[in-house]
Amino acid sequence: MGHDVSKDVGQFVDIEVDSLSFSVHENRMLNRVTARFSAGQIHCILGQNGAGKSTLLKCLSKELSPSEGGVKWKNHPLESFSYAQLAIQRAVLSQSTELSFAFTVEQLVRFGVEVRGHCEHTAEIIRSVLQICDMQHLQARDYLTLSGGEQKRAQLARVLAQIWPDEPQNPHAFRGKWLLLDEWTAGLDIKHQQQLGRYFQAWAAQGLGIIMVLHDIAFAAQLADQCLILQSGNVYSQGDLLNCLTQDSLREALEINARIEVDAISQRPFIYPIIESF
Amino acid sequence: MNFNGHKISSLILLLIVLLVISMLLSLFSGDMSLSAWDLLAGLSPQQSLILWEIRLPRTLMTAIVGAGLAISGVALQALFRNPLAEPGLIGVSSSAAFGAVLVIVLGGVVWQDVSVWQMSLSAFIAAALSTALLYSIATRNGHTDVALMLLAGVAFNAVAGALTQLLITFSDDSQLRSVLFWMMGSFANLSWASVGIVLSLVLVSLIGLWRLVKPMNAFVLGENVCIQMGYEPKWFKWQVMGFSALMVGAAVSVVGVIGFVGLVVPHIMRLLIGSDHRLVLPLSALAGAILLVVADLFARQILYPAELPIGLLMALLGGPFFLMLLLNKRRRI
Repeated sequence: MGHDVSKDVGQFVDIEVDSLSFSVHENRMLNRVTARFSAGQIHCILGQNGAGKSTLLKCLSKELSPSEGGVKWKNHPLESFSYAQLAIQRAVLSQSTELSFAFTVEQLVRFGVEVRGHCEHTAEIIRSVLQICDMQHLQARDYLTLSGGEQKRAQLARVLAQIWPDEPQNPHAFRGKWLLLDEWTAGLDIKHQQQLGRYFQAWAAQGLGIIMVLHDIAFAAQLADQCLILQSGNVYSQGDLLNCLTQDSLREALEINARIEVDAISQRPFIYPIIESF
Repeated sequence: MNFNGHKISSLILLLIVLLVISMLLSLFSGDMSLSAWDLLAGLSPQQSLILWEIRLPRTLMTAIVGAGLAISGVALQALFRNPLAEPGLIGVSSSAAFGAVLVIVLGGVVWQDVSVWQMSLSAFIAAALSTALLYSIATRNGHTDVALMLLAGVAFNAVAGALTQLLITFSDDSQLRSVLFWMMGSFANLSWASVGIVLSLVLVSLIGLWRLVKPMNAFVLGENVCIQMGYEPKWFKWQVMGFSALMVGAAVSVVGVIGFVGLVVPHIMRLLIGSDHRLVLPLSALAGAILLVVADLFARQILYPAELPIGLLMALLGGPFFLMLLLNKRRRI
């Protein structure tokens, strides 16, 4: 971080995907995907099952290496970063995690903190992320005995601990940090979805870049700044919400009917998916 | 489920005390009467010989092998991301035994006299190959199919056992006797040289695995989580396979197959102090040493003056324990 980018942190393009393709056994999961994700914003990836959302996220986190094209991470090729270097810049929450060992919630979160190497504020960080995920009362519990939603919150706390800033009050506390979330709302009750959504928006304002795969378009329209719609491995559209989330695009790319109203104050689309009877 | 520092340090202290006591008991029990009093009063030449050349190497070796087997259990359980993985159960030990017997029977023709080094090396290679093969069979995309792992282990045990039997049919009478007794696991007639070899191999593996406790914790959360948390999973897996095979190979080549130590010990440790590998690894080493020293003590006393092979004793204890774990698992589902 040699030069000062604090002034245009909102516009600073941090992750670029350049005609990226990914195939498994002749099966093209992603086809020449080109996209940009800027820091300090919440990006939401939408698409039907099998559209390639999780695959794209895995390419961004270097879990998969693309067959063609590539990812530029802060102006450098993603491959030039080691896993250890990436781990302190971005944290990832996968769609599902399976565990056969009895860790306590507190231990799980501690593993997240340890990624940063030696850390003086370990106890403080653990307390903060547990409180944000509303898990402090469950911190001594065995992870395997938690409900699905609680397990998700525990994993989210671990993921947050990995990139939690030393000075959370600093207006640029999260600068340079990224959060990649694959269906983080699955299993969570609405209260916790909203609570965490509020935090995500606050951290984005502090410089955090967030890329999330979501299925709930109404929630995405409330939360995100930018939107990327994938359709069977291809980019259908990318841009801000009002341009992307139109009745036509939802009908074409997601094959759903929805009523859309634009809120006069927030300038956000309100989306009401409609079930039509046969 | 709250594991505070005080509880953990008192548990470590307790285990160390138990280890010392069990090792002293082991030293002072046997055919010839030899007590702590004799030690203070001065030993007769005969007593001194028995203590230094028979009892002490045996006691040390049991402790080292117990620690090594327990740790290799911890390592394999992290690799397969499942607490049921165990070198004996999934066929790694019997593959190592095949490697060792191969050297005893065929190597005996080539080199006349077979050394512990040669047996260890051959057992290590067989153990490492079988671990890698089993891993590639049972694990797809970082997800281990536990049923497949255990079934493949059954097959590995069968094949390695059959190949070992085949070798035995080719061996002469004296080879046969030593092979058979060795296969059941025995701590009789150990030299200081073999103690030194096994100690150094187990120490190397222990240190090697100790460096990996952080990625182990990440890896059991998932192979993708391991990447996300900044650890290279490929290199990690090779190291875990290599070090656990090294320990199993060293242990098996000297004392034969002793099963279930790697299953029972880590399981009990996890119940006591949780699953953090930083604690499970060293505490399992201590507890594995205690378990095997005590088991050896029993094996010598129970049918006195005959000696029960310790591998047999561990199977008698560990088999029901394994069944109990499976039943527990079924009840939870």
